[in-house]
Amino acid sequence: MTVMRLDEVTRVHGQVHALKGVSLEVSSGELVAVMGPSGSGKSTLLNLAGGLDRPTSGSVTIEGTDLATVTDLAALRRGSVGYVFQDLNLIPSLTAAENVMLPRELDGVRSRQARGEALAVLASVGVDHMADRFPEELSGGQRQRVAIARALVGERRLVLADEPTGALDTASGDEILRLLRERCDAGAAVLLVTHEPRYAGWADRVVFLRDGEIADSTAVSLESAR
Amino acid sequence: MSIRHGLLALLSRGPRYGYQLRVEFEASTGATWPLNIGQVYTTLARMERDGLVEPGGADEQGRAVYTVTEAGRAELERWFSTPVDQTDRPRDELVIKLAMAVAAGDVDVPAVILAQRTATMRALQGLTRAKRANAEGLAQRLVLDSLIFQAEAEQRWLDHCEAVLKEKST
Repeated sequence: MTVMRLDEVTRVHGQVHALKGVSLEVSSGELVAVMGPSGSGKSTLLNLAGGLDRPTSGSVTIEGTDLATVTDLAALRRGSVGYVFQDLNLIPSLTAAENVMLPRELDGVRSRQARGEALAVLASVGVDHMADRFPEELSGGQRQRVAIARALVGERRLVLADEPTGALDTASGDEILRLLRERCDAGAAVLLVTHEPRYAGWADRVVFLRDGEIADSTAVSLESAR
Repeated sequence: MSIRHGLLALLSRGPRYGYQLRVEFEASTGATWPLNIGQVYTTLARMERDGLVEPGGADEQGRAVYTVTEAGRAELERWFSTPVDQTDRPRDELVIKLAMAVAAGDVDVPAVILAQRTATMRALQGLTRAKRANAEGLAQRLVLDSLIFQAEAEQRWLDHCEAVLKEKST
């Protein structure tokens, strides 16, 4: 099942054509990696795919909803899309569990239920024993797991990850990819932006962006669809 | 690296017969270096001639069992303490091919790079799948990690080539 679809999407920032007619689908259970040099349009693509930005032309569809028909993008994002960024944005004055609870509480979920959900998702990424620690008391790898838990809580089916391995050493980075991979295998759709080939290797499909266009892809289905 | 050093390393854990050595050799190297049983027995015979191993009778099924000698242990120790020389490694065919593509003049070098990058990424995906599928053997996992690092280095080098060519052409 297609969770996110870009159809002939372009994005123009002033004079700059950041994306020039990109089509891409990510299905449930699929991990797609986007690679490309700086300025190739990777971040623009991720922002459009997650409803953080709107395309100049073309359409973006998330779980069957064309974003052009949605006035409150923020609500759709909270319900469907999880983000993991390189700079984790964990709030230092909140514990791991409180950080994960936050998006659910913003959605009006009661505190007790939100905590229950947070502990369950922290357990699924293997850091439930760290639930009551503050970010500064966690290792880099543990913090990244908490950030992933926050992206997954509330059963969001589309996960967008922008260089989620950050400055982690390769063994810890591999663990993060193993985790994202497991979420895929459990039915999530994951779109990963990375400049590290070793992490792109975990994907079912790797798309190379160059100058705002898809230069190549390791899957036949996408090329035939273009 | 020679087969004999690999066999010595396995024999240093205790006496073994030929077929067992072959199975353990392939398991340790992640099946990246398949051996046939003839190679194992030929190598064992030469090592016996050179005094590195000795036949220690037979197991209950009549298979000849080999044991490492003192000289064998010394040779293994020497091997592990000697770093691998860069010049011992074979030339990289891809590097030569790309250099020749540039030297030839009328070749679409970016197309060569793109085709290779897609192929290398596919290889990297295959290696990562193999690594996920086989979590038990530590030696095997490290061999796969090594192949992943090599594929990654090749990928980075291809990106670098593309950037340099682009800069030179503008």
